[in-house]
Amino acid sequence: MSEKKEVLSVGIDLGTSRSSISASNGQRHVVESYVGWPLDMVARKVLKKPILVGHEALENRSMLDLHRPLEEGLIKDGSEKDEAAVRELLRHLLGLVGIDPDAHNGVKVRAVVGVPAEALRVNKQQVRKALQDSVDSLLIVSEPFAVAYGLEALLHTMIIDSGAGTTDFCVMNGRLPTEEEQRTLTQAGDFIDEQLMRLTREHHPEAKFSIHMVRQWKEEGSFVGQAKNPVIVTAPVGGKPTQIDITQPMRQACESILPPLVESMLDLLSRVQPEYQERVRNNIVLSGGTGLIRGLGPRLEQELHSVGGGKVRVVKDPIFVGSDGGLAIAQDAPDSDWDRLVG
Amino acid sequence: MANVDRIKRQLLRDLVEQNVDLIQGRRSRPLRRRDGWRLAARVASVALLSLGLFGSSRLISTLSVPPRAAVAAAAVSPLASAASRTAPALSPAPAAGPLVPPEPISAAVFPLAVRKIVLDPGHGGSSSGTRTSQGLVEKELTLDIAQRLRHLLEQDSFQVVMTRDGDREVPLEQRGQLANRSGADIFVSIHLNWIDNRRSRGVETYYLGPTEDPYLTRLAASENRDSGYSMADMRRLLDRIYAGVRQDKSRRLAETVQGALFQSLGKVSPEVEDRGVKAAPFIVLLTTEMPAILAEVSSLSNDEEAQLLTKPLYRQYIAAALAQGIRAYAEAVEGAPESVPPQEKGFDR
Repeated sequence: MSEKKEVLSVGIDLGTSRSSISASNGQRHVVESYVGWPLDMVARKVLKKPILVGHEALENRSMLDLHRPLEEGLIKDGSEKDEAAVRELLRHLLGLVGIDPDAHNGVKVRAVVGVPAEALRVNKQQVRKALQDSVDSLLIVSEPFAVAYGLEALLHTMIIDSGAGTTDFCVMNGRLPTEEEQRTLTQAGDFIDEQLMRLTREHHPEAKFSIHMVRQWKEEGSFVGQAKNPVIVTAPVGGKPTQIDITQPMRQACESILPPLVESMLDLLSRVQPEYQERVRNNIVLSGGTGLIRGLGPRLEQELHSVGGGKVRVVKDPIFVGSDGGLAIAQDAPDSDWDRLVG
Repeated sequence: MANVDRIKRQLLRDLVEQNVDLIQGRRSRPLRRRDGWRLAARVASVALLSLGLFGSSRLISTLSVPPRAAVAAAAVSPLASAASRTAPALSPAPAAGPLVPPEPISAAVFPLAVRKIVLDPGHGGSSSGTRTSQGLVEKELTLDIAQRLRHLLEQDSFQVVMTRDGDREVPLEQRGQLANRSGADIFVSIHLNWIDNRRSRGVETYYLGPTEDPYLTRLAASENRDSGYSMADMRRLLDRIYAGVRQDKSRRLAETVQGALFQSLGKVSPEVEDRGVKAAPFIVLLTTEMPAILAEVSSLSNDEEAQLLTKPLYRQYIAAALAQGIRAYAEAVEGAPESVPPQEKGFDR
């Protein structure tokens, strides 16, 4: 048996909505977390592929048995198809950075995968199982920790990583965060989508639209507080494309995550040792796609006034901040440690 | 910079150890046990926040943590709390025959850990449960509380299975069957009460057993309405009840949860009554094979309770109280030798 010499390190942010990968060969990719199998022979013939992943799957969803295999940032429990879908998603991501998941092209693949802060042991084992045949060694980390590591925000910092499935909180005190220093909320992007769908239906009962359209509207026009411009979108009404104003539903939907977000932020802050609380308050990092909602950072700062004020920094490149952090961990961990993480 | 490198090295070491534990199936901490002051700090911060969220000074001024030790004590010492009660007669004999008292079996024979919990949000789908004229519907509130409770229990490393996770109709017998199939350790059904005396705002917790109380008979009949069981099925099911252990564990669980609910909610609304732990023949408890309770966590019939139930923080508080009771029960059965169950007959509250 020949010893593999070359090492390829990857960081993966396995997200409910999007998943990203950053590799030590300089490649970075993001895909929508969708996997689909052609519904029948006709679909297979048209699509010419046995499995479609990401945007391609979403685009051809009418011909596919489409799966979004992650729920609240974790592999859905109970469905073999969802487990298969997450395997395919991971294989696809590895393929994008040049790794043949079956042969590895003669390289040793070391992966760091970020999962929600409060992911249970069983969820972590599911991730490990899904990846065990595709990588040589695997390290599972909490997503906000990966973000903190990538930003080198390791001391007296609070990370709020808000994605589609979960909003993860983590206070960094120069050591691995304890359970008390981490929190996961399910109020995140998907929750806003559901609210926006419901509220838009209430405001415009005659309009027809899907959750995918709502998701796109949110990505283009989300905000909290004062609207900069009215949010006008196009949706069919009686079969005719019609412009509808969703400014009010958009505000309400986006602001629906504020109470639990603020509660968790203040609660975690109250647990920080008193002498460090001010430093942590002034060092809050907001990352993730949902963190890009216009006005969210300033609104959180406003809420901090009641406890003495603070600063919230919004990460500008939320797509890769988690996977880049994972990659940094993968590259920093010594070989001797990786040898213990095989299998 | 050197400092950052040192921190990184330490972090990576700890991270790798954590993952090696995961690979080797080692479990460093099955349950999270919080220090009292941390819990107090959490509740205090939630209370402070509620000022901003609700502006309810009364709610804030009265929020506090139920004494955990007292709750745990209820779980460990069932004899003390049950001293004035008598145990229900179990396993009814065939209709024509006399009632035969079952052989009691010591629960101490089965000091097993609680890992998996089935939460059963009452009602769902076309079965709405009770509702107020203001539009509060029991099925929606029970689901909300159960979802909050699930989150809290999962934080404590319990595995949680829900009988329903949406507005879905699940027949009563299927709820029990789901719990049995999933190999759950305990089953907690969550309901909201409707009490004829609308000034009453009590919490009460049930475990399976017969009752002669006409109110409980009516309540059980109402909750069992859509079970689809015939009388013959019912008799067979009753025959299946395992006399000593499950009943005793169910009662302990009920006592612990009821204690946590009353102590906790009593701080928020001092008028809340402790309506106690009771035995009643609910189908949903009858079909389960593990310790099972049905908690009436609030009274929708009372206007003030109904008003409080519109507040997310109050629902969170109910969930936290239930979680505390469950946690105390789990810690007690795992960590303390259990007493032999009382062998009295009959039951009254």
